[in-house]
Amino acid sequence: MNKNEKIEALSKKRQEVMLGGGEKAIQKQKDSGKLTARERIDMLLDPDSFNEYDLFVQHEAKDFGMMEKVLNGDGVIIGTGTIDQRPVCVFAQDFTVVGGSLGYMHAKKITKIQDVAMRMKVPCIGINDSGGARIQEGVSALAGYGEIFYRNTQASGVIPQISVILGPCAGGAVYSPALTDYVFVVDKVSKMFITGPEVIKTVLGEEISQEDLGGARVHSEITGNAHFFAHDEKECFQQIRDLLAVIPHNNKEGIIKKETKKPVHNIDINSVVPVDPTKPYDVRDVIKAITDKSEFVEVMEKFAQNIVIGFGRIDGKTVGFVANQPYYLAGVLDVDCSDKAARFIRYCDSFNIPIVTLVDLPGYLPGVDQEHSGVIRHGAKLLYSYSEATVPKITVILRKAYGGGYIAMSSRHLNADFVYAWPTAEIAVMGPQGAANIIFRKDIMNAENPEEMRKQKVEEYKHRFANPYVAAAKGYVDSVIEPAETRDMLVHALMICENKDEIKTDKKHGIPPF
Amino acid sequence: MKELKNISVQIDDEVYETHSTIAFDKKKKWICPDDRIIKSIIPGTIIDVVVNEGQKVDEGDIILIIEAMKMNNRIAFTHSGVVDKVFVSTGDIVARGQDLISLK
Repeated sequence: MNKNEKIEALSKKRQEVMLGGGEKAIQKQKDSGKLTARERIDMLLDPDSFNEYDLFVQHEAKDFGMMEKVLNGDGVIIGTGTIDQRPVCVFAQDFTVVGGSLGYMHAKKITKIQDVAMRMKVPCIGINDSGGARIQEGVSALAGYGEIFYRNTQASGVIPQISVILGPCAGGAVYSPALTDYVFVVDKVSKMFITGPEVIKTVLGEEISQEDLGGARVHSEITGNAHFFAHDEKECFQQIRDLLAVIPHNNKEGIIKKETKKPVHNIDINSVVPVDPTKPYDVRDVIKAITDKSEFVEVMEKFAQNIVIGFGRIDGKTVGFVANQPYYLAGVLDVDCSDKAARFIRYCDSFNIPIVTLVDLPGYLPGVDQEHSGVIRHGAKLLYSYSEATVPKITVILRKAYGGGYIAMSSRHLNADFVYAWPTAEIAVMGPQGAANIIFRKDIMNAENPEEMRKQKVEEYKHRFANPYVAAAKGYVDSVIEPAETRDMLVHALMICENKDEIKTDKKHGIPPF
Repeated sequence: MKELKNISVQIDDEVYETHSTIAFDKKKKWICPDDRIIKSIIPGTIIDVVVNEGQKVDEGDIILIIEAMKMNNRIAFTHSGVVDKVFVSTGDIVARGQDLISLK
């Protein structure tokens, strides 16, 4: 072969391998409403930015007739590319090649790109579409999974890790996504479970569809395993791009300042929050009245909606928001929302993203199910995460801040840097009704007209304690501010916090109440 | 925003107007367990029922054997008494939490 022939042979070899499982399998993939692995990578990354590695990798399995089988790319595509001109690492499982099943070399390709991401300190995005372990490879397939999980854990808190579930992801395979920072799911496409409907039917006699067991909605609304829900793959890739635009790409990068843009939201921040603490409103309106261009990338929008978490920019710099959401369940703290917020706080702390906490909550959700689900342990995660975080922590108390909820929501006592309160704030040991009923129990019982006396005592308590000034008098609140001053105060506080350097206690790591 | 059910939540004698969530709607009401009824702690298939109705039993006696997760699990009485009713028979597939036997 001369040089030209050799070049031509390469081109031909490439084309063959890039066909994955072949045209029939590709058609089947499309018929099931899914894009192919290559289409997905193209749609996710900047045009023509993808460079592939390990195209010619072959499996080394010998048993069960595997020796004769050629599996193109061993069922996974790996490479590097850019999103908004910033480098990222990607792998995409190719379902057209023996169902995207994971054999040892398949896993080796994934761990190779994970290692590249860690060395270069760039985000790693994994597109999952796989039937699971390649059974013919036996324990080697398990070894593959384990080596991926190990790298997921090592990379945690160093680079953002994103899992995109675009097909089945079952059995042991679910644990790589579970270890990563963000799981993206698509309606009717994503399916995640440890044991599938067939096994459940055989063992337990319970019949359930894949969708009802572990579909995109289930993981977005009930389990909390997914962080972003999209209606189709295109929307999903846009969500990934939007997220990567707002978060740092490694833990040393810090916050990249963009041009400052005023909020555009047409809601008047003064009128969002009703004065009556029992009335609901949407706290996202407050967030959007504060952030640049009123943009807010919400994380876990449909799970534990009584707390809102996500990213926005203030004065061109990314901050993480944690906000009680009175619109849902009165914004109470419970098991799920504590888990949701605690992990987010640790994420922000790992990547040096300042945390802005907006407080309006009546306390913890009462109930047997909460107590039996371990609300003590789960609620403690919130206290732990806030106390542990050394990034700038700025708190704005919008309205209610009662009891244990007040302490938990980034109070001064957990070492918040700046605590502001609106004039509508009520910082108290509990709500006026409950407090009056306890403190003035005897007065009420012995009164001629107990109901009248109760009302009077509630009013008395409200007047004296349901305000921000008792806490302000003790210095627990640094400043009582007008709602309209909030953004400017946050801009200033973030500027003051820019070089914050809190010395951590010398220890290997703490033991959070997992 | 998708309109969910309007609900009120009571905390410390204060009633808050708010909206439900999907997970909150799915919540099951807690029922105080009855000590006299022995329920299946695992889902599986009954492969042997050892006791009969009216039989006097002691704590620790084997009631029945459930095959689950490829294991024969021996289910024992948690306290002594007389068997009132046996709700299952050999070959039945039982769910977790299903009533197996009641004591008098």
